[in-house]
Amino acid sequence: MKSLKIEVRHAEETDIDEFVGLIMRMKRLNGEFDSLFIANEQNRDGIRNYYLKCIKDREKIISLVAVENNKIYGLMKAEVRERISYLPNYEARIIDLYIMPEARRKNVGNLLLDFLYQEMRKRKITVVTAEFPALNLIALNFYTKIGYREIGKVFGKTIDHTENKKE
Amino acid sequence: MNNEERTQQFNKLAVEYSRYFKGKIRNYPNVPVSSINDFSYWYTPGVAEVSRVINKNPEESLELTGRWNSIGIITDGTRVLGLGNVGPEAAMPVMEGKAMIFNLFGGVNAVPLPMRVSSKEEFIKVAMALEPSFGGYNLEDIESPKCFFILKELQQKLAIPAWHDDQLGTACIILAGLINSLRIAGKKIEDATVSLIGSGAANIAAAHLMIEAGFKPQNIIMVDSHGILEPEREDLDKIMISNPWKYDLALVTNGERRKGDIKESMHGTDVVVSAAKSQPGLIKPEWVKNMEKDPAIFALANPLPEIWPDDAKAAGAKVVATGRSDFPNQINNSLVFPGVFRGVLDARSKGVNFRIMVKASYEIANYVKDPTPDHIVPTMGDWELYPRVASSVAVATVEEKLARKVDSKEGYYRTASEIIRVNRENFEKMMKMNIVEQLPEVNK
Repeated sequence: MKSLKIEVRHAEETDIDEFVGLIMRMKRLNGEFDSLFIANEQNRDGIRNYYLKCIKDREKIISLVAVENNKIYGLMKAEVRERISYLPNYEARIIDLYIMPEARRKNVGNLLLDFLYQEMRKRKITVVTAEFPALNLIALNFYTKIGYREIGKVFGKTIDHTENKKE
Repeated sequence: MNNEERTQQFNKLAVEYSRYFKGKIRNYPNVPVSSINDFSYWYTPGVAEVSRVINKNPEESLELTGRWNSIGIITDGTRVLGLGNVGPEAAMPVMEGKAMIFNLFGGVNAVPLPMRVSSKEEFIKVAMALEPSFGGYNLEDIESPKCFFILKELQQKLAIPAWHDDQLGTACIILAGLINSLRIAGKKIEDATVSLIGSGAANIAAAHLMIEAGFKPQNIIMVDSHGILEPEREDLDKIMISNPWKYDLALVTNGERRKGDIKESMHGTDVVVSAAKSQPGLIKPEWVKNMEKDPAIFALANPLPEIWPDDAKAAGAKVVATGRSDFPNQINNSLVFPGVFRGVLDARSKGVNFRIMVKASYEIANYVKDPTPDHIVPTMGDWELYPRVASSVAVATVEEKLARKVDSKEGYYRTASEIIRVNRENFEKMMKMNIVEQLPEVNK
């Protein structure tokens, strides 16, 4: 693809199937980095319903798509979260960000972020955070490059319940 | 004797001869030693001064020692021939054979160096550590995609050429064959459409080299075991992580965004280059019929090509090439690496790249004066080929500002011809004098 004339807009309910297609690609990519993030391919309907709710809930969730000629080349889902014990009170937490391979290195990620920042301005939200698997080096490089810094850690492990089981 | 019986006979002889000769190459002093006094300059005390000179200027090691004409054949034995991961010890006979070809056809002193390493990082570390001993490296029989990472790193970090023959040698001879195939069909490189079946080391390198030579990326369609490569394929992110070289090609090739498998990839194309499964019938004659007029089929799997040449011809192929010596047009990287290394060593080159390789491919293609459908590439017996490739490569290293020792094309040609001729004559003398023994009688 030579050049893209990408437009960013809020995701619509009619985008749902294409939207979930990209979400599943992103989840599979996370699974490549860490086996704790294996995509649940069996739960496609559940995932579809979840993201349909997200798209509908514009107050708490900002769901964006980057499109050209009605085709989705990228998406972002950010949650508006209340920080009850901290100031400022609200943050936008980016949970999902995915760009189709042929649209990468073409500024689509920044276009999605710009749109998100505009939305945050409208809502007077000044803190943005991004959540991604620690081993996803592509995400790590992307956010580091645009000035994000590590502000927390989530540790995890798999518990083998059969190991300590008493007969 | 049928093919199978013949192969078994060769296998048996190979083991028996190897047990008899105990190694295919050996070292002799290169300087006259008539008496013990000669050691005063070849060894102590005089040699210390040579060390001091090199210590002041390490580049002198390329003029005052055999480093200028020595290369390391480095492998971890993870993908040896069709055998797979047989380990470094079992890789040795193959590396020795390669060293023999380097010497006989290129006059190059090649040292087989199978290494016991457990990671690509360790491989790179060992190669870096041994750099002062060699004028170049030939990487051999390393599994994909590890071979891409290692080659890229070594090409960036070393001040001597690093070459992976399974990628670059094969790509070079494929391109040479394609140049003449298109000449025969009266087609231009910039218009030619190509289906590359199999996306292993050879075809990935071939695609990159073809693009460097002027093939339009959008006119190339690549196929792997999951079908045609295209940017929307579901497994593309996985490929991005495991094989970034294949991923990059998936994004720039296949301008039509064709989907499907081998059949769909071949439809209407001018050329098929298949380096896939050794399985006649993988390419079907009816798919050849659906290609452009006068197509070229390179069915390179060994020992059995993906389609038999007769079947491909009957289906309309103008040119058919295989990896075998018993059919016309053997696509054999032995036509490439001896001359390429002769050239980079004579120029004391700091590296080798795709632009230099394109020059080598054209030299090989032009060597065939009047290409015909049954004669698109030279054969190994064309001794004149190697110095010609060497001089083209050496001049290209000058153009690329990689050469430490600059000469004219004629000068490089004279140097290469002389080295190869003298080396060959010396070997023939050693055989005549029985210094290199004749083959022993074995129970065949």
